[in-house]
Amino acid sequence: MSDLYLSRIRNWFLSSPPAEWAIRGLRETLIGALKQGPVPRHVAFVMDGNRRYARSHKIETIEGHHLGFEALARVLEICYKCGVEVVTVYAFSIENFNRPKYEVDGLMQLAKVKLEQLIQHGELLERYGASVRVLGERDLLSDDVLEVIDRAVSTTKNNKKCILNICFPYTSREEMTTAIRSTVEEYSKSSAPKRTPFSQTRITQKIMSKQGDRSGKMESDNTSLGQEQSHTPPGSDDNEDSMSSTTTLYPDSPGRTSKDGSNHVTIYPNVENITTETIDKHMYTADCPPLDIFVRTSGVERLSDFMLWQCHQDTQMFFLKCFWPEFDLRHFLPVLLEWQWRQKKKAMEEGPRQRVKAA
Amino acid sequence: MFKPRDIEAYRRDEKLGHKMLTPEERIRLLKPYLPSPPLHPSEQASKRAMEEQQRLGVRRFLKTHWHLLVFTIIHALFSLYIRIRQAYHQVFNKVSSIYHHHHRAPDLIYNDVKDLRRLPNHLSVILTLDEDARGGTGLAKLIEEASDIAAWCASARIPQLSIYEKTGTLKGYLPRVHRSMTQKLAAYFGPNTPGIGIRAPHCPSMETAPTLAASRSENDGIKHLSVMILSAEDGRDSIVDLTKTLADMSQRGKISTSDITIELVDAELSESVMGEPDLLLLFGPRVELVGYPPWQVRLTEISHVQDNEGVNYQVFYRGLLKYAGAQMRWGR
Repeated sequence: MSDLYLSRIRNWFLSSPPAEWAIRGLRETLIGALKQGPVPRHVAFVMDGNRRYARSHKIETIEGHHLGFEALARVLEICYKCGVEVVTVYAFSIENFNRPKYEVDGLMQLAKVKLEQLIQHGELLERYGASVRVLGERDLLSDDVLEVIDRAVSTTKNNKKCILNICFPYTSREEMTTAIRSTVEEYSKSSAPKRTPFSQTRITQKIMSKQGDRSGKMESDNTSLGQEQSHTPPGSDDNEDSMSSTTTLYPDSPGRTSKDGSNHVTIYPNVENITTETIDKHMYTADCPPLDIFVRTSGVERLSDFMLWQCHQDTQMFFLKCFWPEFDLRHFLPVLLEWQWRQKKKAMEEGPRQRVKAA
Repeated sequence: MFKPRDIEAYRRDEKLGHKMLTPEERIRLLKPYLPSPPLHPSEQASKRAMEEQQRLGVRRFLKTHWHLLVFTIIHALFSLYIRIRQAYHQVFNKVSSIYHHHHRAPDLIYNDVKDLRRLPNHLSVILTLDEDARGGTGLAKLIEEASDIAAWCASARIPQLSIYEKTGTLKGYLPRVHRSMTQKLAAYFGPNTPGIGIRAPHCPSMETAPTLAASRSENDGIKHLSVMILSAEDGRDSIVDLTKTLADMSQRGKISTSDITIELVDAELSESVMGEPDLLLLFGPRVELVGYPPWQVRLTEISHVQDNEGVNYQVFYRGLLKYAGAQMRWGR
């Protein structure tokens, strides 16, 4: 009884104009102060604990998600004011499709409504240079949601100052597999003949007309094309190919035979040129700066298939005890301070080492 | 920081399916909270803006200095807080390591974990090479730590252990690691020493058979321990290598790109590197994965002890407790 009374008094006090003014001033000062140090460029959040929060406060699950969205708005405000360039949030995992249907529908509806509102305020977003991207497996979404997503992404795509990545529906393994697949696709395209103004067929024809008919015309192609590798089509005397060509033959795979038909050699980029950066470029977060901070709420200390490729190097991870709807500056401030403190320590450790190297 | 009545208005609007407020009204609701937008380059050029900037300049100068002051104060306080926290944790860890010491006795370690609800089947640890140490002391320390952890795992009946060390130093001394681990196990278990097998990806396994007494008394539950040594090249580089192989196969027309699925990649990476560990122990003061294989950490529980520095039994014990969802017991 007295508890309720106290909380009512507290609420009344906090909503009184002077208290409001003071709290607001304090927040502004803290954020302004944080900006004086190094600021992370890319922060990722796993918004975990909406359901548990709802359960512990005896409200509907979807209500918990709505409160989670308010927390996201708060966090984005803080990040924007601090000067964080990219914020990536884990909104919906592919695994989440296994949840009860009404909850999935509710979440889809939430995303749709919020993105629709976002589109209505396109001009406002442009003024702040904010853009929204949706990362994930699009095929799993229904058409009406997809349509809204596409509109939201395309209205904001020219804004470059800060980016919000919404991972929806996303898993990191799916992302990595997609990156591998598109890298393989890139390297299975024979692009070399289109780039040069010289026609290979003409050259071979010239050579042939000069030297008469030669059976080994592939060799001359090979030597003339420095780095590029060439592969003979199946049916020729390549041992490895002829072994398996009977079982795995894909007549429609790209670049098997060149378009002019007379030249049977297809030129592919060298696979040895594939590096970490190549795969990096095919990730959903290709043009984002490296991930600095990874925050997960609700005390679960797992990555749960989020940003595996991006965060396994020198990202600093923070597992916080609070539920996501409670998340606010008072939880985020220690994280940022600790990160800044470590950056400072790192710089101090690197300093002497570099001096030793130089000497 | 939003005013309660504005939050109220927002929530009422939401309840009604966003029909109550028009977009313009919503902007009006939001306007007081929006920071001033960044100046457009063309606006800055105009003279009036210049004048205004000069006037603002003084104010901005004062503001910046005020923020700088607050920043310095906050960081001074935070530094102090961290130092106190570190000191407290150091004392706490020392006390609890005296209290919960393993005394190199497998039975005591087993006693610690036998009542836990669940134990990881595959435990993984990240070790760091002390590069500043002179001569071979860094390496010797690393091997000693790895052997200790192997002995604890064998005592706790954890059959699979993977040890990640970024630079790959440990990988280069596989026979030495093997010898050290065998000796350590013998020192812990005596006549009942279990068998151990050590390997690294793309390297043959080095096996030691269990001693006669241990192989006879099967019912004791002490299992064969298999140890995997990993380095940074088993992380991203293994994925790059897989991509190269797949690209090559695709160029030869052996696979189509639609054959590349999560299952395929998972099967290949588990085959050539390792499967998913259940629990990952960090012995450093912060949570950083330093290049640990990304594909495999998907659902792994990550455990670390705040402000801990260096390998000790406390981290191992507490990691297992946390994995089982148990509290630390202060009486055996």
